[in-house]
Amino acid sequence: MKGSYIGKPAGGKLLRLDLEWEDGLVASVAIRGDFFAHPEEGFEDAEAALVGTSVDDVGETFAAGLSSRGVTLFGLTAADIGAAAASIVASSGAKGTFS
Amino acid sequence: MMSFRYLETGANPAAFNMGLDEAILESVSTGTERPTLRFYAWKPAAVSIGYFQGVRDEVDLERCAELGVDVVRRLTGGGAVFHSAELTYSVVVPESHPLAAGGIMESYRAVCAGVIGGLAVLGIAAEFAPLNDVVASGKKLSGNAQTRKRGCLLQHGTVLLGVDLDTMFTVLKVPNEKLKGKLIEDVCARVSSVSDMTGRTVGYDEAVPAFERGFADALGGLGERSGPSPAELARARALAEERFASRTWIFRR
Repeated sequence: MKGSYIGKPAGGKLLRLDLEWEDGLVASVAIRGDFFAHPEEGFEDAEAALVGTSVDDVGETFAAGLSSRGVTLFGLTAADIGAAAASIVASSGAKGTFS
Repeated sequence: MMSFRYLETGANPAAFNMGLDEAILESVSTGTERPTLRFYAWKPAAVSIGYFQGVRDEVDLERCAELGVDVVRRLTGGGAVFHSAELTYSVVVPESHPLAAGGIMESYRAVCAGVIGGLAVLGIAAEFAPLNDVVASGKKLSGNAQTRKRGCLLQHGTVLLGVDLDTMFTVLKVPNEKLKGKLIEDVCARVSSVSDMTGRTVGYDEAVPAFERGFADALGGLGERSGPSPAELARARALAEERFASRTWIFRR
C-alpha cells in the first residue's frame, strides 16, 4: 500500500510525506519540505531507519531516531510525521484500495 | 575579535555560487582562512531550493529551461527562493566563534543584525523575525538559512532589492493554479523589497557598500574587500560541477 500527505501542520512549515508499506511495515518513506534539521545527515539517517518499522509507530520511531542522533528540527516535529503517516494509513484503509 | 575576511564576488551561476559557499566553509573549517563574509549575486537568475525540498514539487523545470533560469539545491534547509534582483551574503564562522555560540536562534539573530544594519544605512527600519526572516513594516525583505558542518556555521541569506512576482510565480510551482491570483496578492501583502520601500531603484552596486557597513558593525569589523583564494576558486568550480550542477544532487529529493 502507498499514499501521500501534503499539509501544513499547526505552527509548522509545508510537509510532504510519501509512504509505502507492506504487511504493516514501512517499505519506503520520503519526507520533503521547507523545514530545517541540524544536522541534516542525522535527519536522513533517522528517515532511512524508518524502513522496516511498524507503520503504526512512525512518529515514535522517528522521534527516537532523531533524539539518538541529536537532531534538532525547526518548522517540523516528529509528531507531525506520525500524524501525517496515520492519516495516509487511515485514508487508505477507508478506501480499501491500493492507491 | 579578529576582523572578518571580506569577499565580494559579483554575479555568477547558481552552481558556482553554492560551490563557493561550500569551499569557504571548508577553508574556514581547516583554519586555512579566517571567518568570512561574502557578498554575491546571481547571473543568470536562479531558483534555489532547500536541502529537504523535492525539486519537482517546487520548481517548474520546463519554464526554467525556457527562461534560462538556473536551478540549484542548497546545503541549507528552508524554502524555494527565486534569485533575481537581490544582494546575497554568506557568513562562515567556526562553531566556537561568539556569533555561533548562543545556539541556532541566537546565531540567526546575530548574523541578521548585519542585514538590519545595511537596511538602516539605506533608510529602512527593519527587525529580526524569528526564526530566519528580516521584516520592515511587517513585510519580509530578507530570508536566511544556516547549516552547521565540519565544525563551522554557514549562514546565507538574501536581501530583496526588487521583486518580480510574475517571473517568480512562473518558475516556482504554486500548489493550486486556480488560486494563483490570490496567492500573488498574498505574497504582495507579505513580501517587499528595498526598491519598493525606498521608492527608487536600488541595485547591487549601491547595496554592497551599505551592507558592508551593516555587517562591519554586526561582525565586529571587516578586512579589505578581496576575492577568494585560488585554492577556493578551484574547489568551488569542482564542487559546482561535481555536486551542485549534478542531476544526482538536484533530484535527490
